[in-house]
Amino acid sequence: MNDRIIFEDVSKFYGEILGVNRVNLSIPPGITSLVGPNGSGKTTLMNLMTGLVKPSRGQIHVLGNRTDDPESLFKVVGYSTQFDAFPKGLTGFQFLFSYLMVSGRPSSEAQRLAWQAIERVNMGEAAHRNVASYSKGMRQRIRLAQALAHDPKVLVLDEPLNGLDPLARAEMIALFRSAASQGCYVIISSHILHEVDIISDQVVLLSNGYVVAEGQIQNVRSEIQEHPSQIMIRCNRPRELAAKMFTSEQAIEVSIHKDERGLLLKTRDADRFYLALNELALNGIEIESIAPADDDVLSVYEYLIGSEEVVR
Amino acid sequence: MAVYRRSYKPYAGTLTPEWSRFLVLFRYSRRSVFRSKVQTGLFVICFFFPLACLILIYLAHSASFLAKIGIPAQILSIDSKFFFRFMSVQGALAFLLTAFVGPGLVSPDLANGALPLFFCRPFSRSEYVLGKSAVLAVLLSEITWIPGVILFVMQASLAGASWAWSNLWIAGSLILSSLLWIAVLSLLAMALSAWVKWRIVAGALLLAVMFFGAGFGQAVNAVLRTDFGYFFNLPYLMGTVWIALFQVDMEQAISITQAWVAILVYCTVCLWLLLRKVRAYEVIR
Repeated sequence: MNDRIIFEDVSKFYGEILGVNRVNLSIPPGITSLVGPNGSGKTTLMNLMTGLVKPSRGQIHVLGNRTDDPESLFKVVGYSTQFDAFPKGLTGFQFLFSYLMVSGRPSSEAQRLAWQAIERVNMGEAAHRNVASYSKGMRQRIRLAQALAHDPKVLVLDEPLNGLDPLARAEMIALFRSAASQGCYVIISSHILHEVDIISDQVVLLSNGYVVAEGQIQNVRSEIQEHPSQIMIRCNRPRELAAKMFTSEQAIEVSIHKDERGLLLKTRDADRFYLALNELALNGIEIESIAPADDDVLSVYEYLIGSEEVVR
Repeated sequence: MAVYRRSYKPYAGTLTPEWSRFLVLFRYSRRSVFRSKVQTGLFVICFFFPLACLILIYLAHSASFLAKIGIPAQILSIDSKFFFRFMSVQGALAFLLTAFVGPGLVSPDLANGALPLFFCRPFSRSEYVLGKSAVLAVLLSEITWIPGVILFVMQASLAGASWAWSNLWIAGSLILSSLLWIAVLSLLAMALSAWVKWRIVAGALLLAVMFFGAGFGQAVNAVLRTDFGYFFNLPYLMGTVWIALFQVDMEQAISITQAWVAILVYCTVCLWLLLRKVRAYEVIR
């Protein structure tokens, strides 16, 4: 319990409006992405995790800390909200420095940590400019800096890549990976599914306040039985391979790639299909590559939540 | 699944005491008060009257000088009435200063959505309110009871120990009446600025509560032929308490107990309003 973020039967209602309902989660170290359409409960889950809103029911423990004990909780948690919000009139450095002081760091330590965080998000040159004069991307970066300035073990980041240019995105993703590689817990919410796919160790899919699925994306995909697995195979004789696959009853649908050098196959049992494919490969068909075509976040999202809200 | 090296090392150094963290907020907020030239100017103006009082006390003990300029020494009597007048003027200035400074304390944080940033630290709502109200408390103290006590000490040093001992209660009254007024003004200003996020409107509303409240109270008294209207008149309520504290001989329409209870109710309502708004997230139903 002390090495996980635990949600035990957590519900949050805003009056009669559902925030999240009956959430049970156990989040391990690494990068965990919260994925879901607008209003699915991602931000509520993050606010619950950081104690900013209290659950209507259930309990939350963050590495053994109760969320209603800010003194112990915020020693290990850093939170960056999705809102473009800053106290008025502060420079980037003052913003970080003052919040580190509020967090209880002595002045000299707060200065050191503030500069360290500023360097980590590459904001050194703009540190003494007023936050109000920053571009959207700079404000996003300084917000990230305030979340990680006090070296928390749990980083909760609501839409952290919004407003960042591609280079800054790559830098931030590297930053998240670096934190995760040290054993930190990086919780991210995002709409940008291909980035979620790249960076996440595990995902939590939310819809209408309920957790629809959680875990490593491949495991989640394998649990979705009603949608056959899609596999892309590049080979020299795709038509022959397709016929054999139908014969061995492993394929339920096959489409030949337009360059006639591959096929997209749907199967209900990917493991048995791979075994069958081994045998076929031994019978003279040259197989160049085999890759699952739908075990990514985007596909899982489409299958479980629907394609309307997908942001590619 | 990634393999983690678990090389993370948490901060193991000392932390500042929990009780002292509201002072960070106080420091930054106070600095922002003096960024405005108008507020700084008004703050300076608030010392003119104490300075004049200081001169009057000095003159009251300079019989030869008074005789030289032809003013009878009896005119300048330094007693509880003198300090009551001092408190009345400084109280009015304190209100004016609060109308400028108070709305700028909480409303910008609410308007800019900065409260979640405060509350995702080891920092509570009470500490936030304490930090912000400390700005007003210190600022208003500097123009009310602190100069008041300085004047008292000055008078005591010139009039002698016997005067000081027999009038020590005046110093207590100065401090108590100032602190009461500071508490009312701080809570009222912050509650209004929390509910009305637009700073100028919050300032105007503070003036309205004082002046329209007094006007409304008078109207109630006139129409209903009662004294209950005074309960809407906050300056009158405070005046009643001050008159009692300084033992000034003036008739008041309501009793001192009623005034105390009414002020306490005002403070409680303001605190409740304030804590309802100062939250990490505002839930709009």
